[in-house]
Amino acid sequence: MTEPSRKAPGRLAASLVILLAATAAALLFGRYPSPGFINPGTLLEDPLALRVVLLVRLPRTLGALLLGAALGASGAALQFVFANPLVDAGFLGVSQGASFGAALAMVLGGGSLALFGSAFGFAILALGMSVAMAGRIRFGGAVLRLLLSGIAVSAFFSALVALLKYGADPLKTLPEITYWLMGGLSAVTWKTLSIAAPIAAVSIIGLVALRWRTALLSLDEATAASLGARPRLERTVVLGLAAAGVAAVTAMAGVVAWVGLIVPHIARLVLRGDGSPTVPGSAILGALFVVVCDALSRGLFSGELPLGVTTSLAGTVAFFALLVGRRINVERG
Amino acid sequence: MEFIDVSYRYKGEPDDALLGFSLSVLPGRATALLGPNGSGKSTALGIGSGWLHPATGRIERGGSVAFLPQAERLAFSFSCLEYVSFGRAPHLPYLAVPSGSDEEKARAALREVGMGTKMDRRITALSGGELQLVRIARALAQEAAYVLLDEPSDMLDPAHAASIGDAIRRLTASGVGVLFSTHDLALALACADEAALMRSGRLVASGPTAEALDCEVLGELYGTPFGLTSLPTPLHR
Repeated sequence: MTEPSRKAPGRLAASLVILLAATAAALLFGRYPSPGFINPGTLLEDPLALRVVLLVRLPRTLGALLLGAALGASGAALQFVFANPLVDAGFLGVSQGASFGAALAMVLGGGSLALFGSAFGFAILALGMSVAMAGRIRFGGAVLRLLLSGIAVSAFFSALVALLKYGADPLKTLPEITYWLMGGLSAVTWKTLSIAAPIAAVSIIGLVALRWRTALLSLDEATAASLGARPRLERTVVLGLAAAGVAAVTAMAGVVAWVGLIVPHIARLVLRGDGSPTVPGSAILGALFVVVCDALSRGLFSGELPLGVTTSLAGTVAFFALLVGRRINVERG
Repeated sequence: MEFIDVSYRYKGEPDDALLGFSLSVLPGRATALLGPNGSGKSTALGIGSGWLHPATGRIERGGSVAFLPQAERLAFSFSCLEYVSFGRAPHLPYLAVPSGSDEEKARAALREVGMGTKMDRRITALSGGELQLVRIARALAQEAAYVLLDEPSDMLDPAHAASIGDAIRRLTASGVGVLFSTHDLALALACADEAALMRSGRLVASGPTAEALDCEVLGELYGTPFGLTSLPTPLHR
């Protein structure tokens, strides 16, 4: 195994520079006026190209940055809190709660704001149910109880989504729900972004600020408590921050899978260590991962690929590579 | 640190894990808790650390407490330095990360236990003995008045068990009060000033280690005859 490096700050800064470059490239990449990159000079001469970049690609790319950063940071924080490197927000029922909320809004025929509100509300409700159920389980440690109840709540909302799909209008609502569940940023506008961004920003900044305390929570409760932590309270704060961020970006963009799970592993590899820099590292690399996947989703083929499909394909390939390369060692969990 | 007539019962259990337990742990002295499995040693340490709360009786702590549970979940490969820096948590505000001086204290603690050359090593790559030393370094970095250790030499080879004894000696020499549970009579004799013998949640005897660890008393405690034999033993460094 690689020795941890104390070069994390340098590597974080380098990742940030790469992210900025990738973001600029993503703004110039697409299928207008021709497939591939626009020459930046064209933007001054072609007003339509400028409008495409400012009104379509810019909010969308900002959405991708926000989505990736929120999913990455929350994935890293949740892995610390659960002391398990194979966990993401899906284990708390948050993604499935959001899916149900969105599907319900589509069935009831609400607009984009209603969809956002319903998805966000049910995501937070799902987290609340996971935490409340965990409190009523009478065996196992706090982390195991939360994991078990989260899995049950996820399955519950998945079943409700299936029920809604079963009853949905097969010509109109069913394709809408199905497409939304695949995740994508094509519907992101300045309006949806302006609602999701503040919530996601609070979540990302909060999780980054709490990174060291969160890493401490990965030690067992008796140890964390002897180090002056209040594990129950601090865990709840981190869960709340992570869930709010995931709920906001999922309400904006649908279910974008694998980012929260795989990106923290990539961050540990890049930063050469498992410590608290994993949280900001996962925010930066998550943003990079989603910006690149989104650019490929919309620019590679004449028809757009759902973002969730691209991230799942890239994520599963990366996951398999990490498993085979023994970069993920589950035995120690 | 003083346990005053402390009792404790785990939820759903028919018997008390600790019953009328009284014990003083003095600054600069090490006390070994001995007794058969299930005699209440870990419960006493849990109460001393504040992790468990006495059902009756009370505990008075004359200062902060560092606690090393017997087994520790290590889901992530922190570097030794990162891990020992967690010891600085009680001294830091909620949103803070360790400063340069905190990191220097963590380094000093690692050097103190002889792990100064392995600061960047991942904790999951350490041997059991090295990990135990690094955990003691974390307690050192915590600068607590009392350090409680649950079976610190459990599953260690004789050389590492001896180095744990040395580390405990250094803690007491610096004025820290130490309470540790152990089944390792040699460790108790090597580094504990007092021994407290427990059975079925009660304190059955206590006193200077060499006197308390009498063959007859131990025979009664563990329910099997004890005799004196001469064993090869690592000498103190």
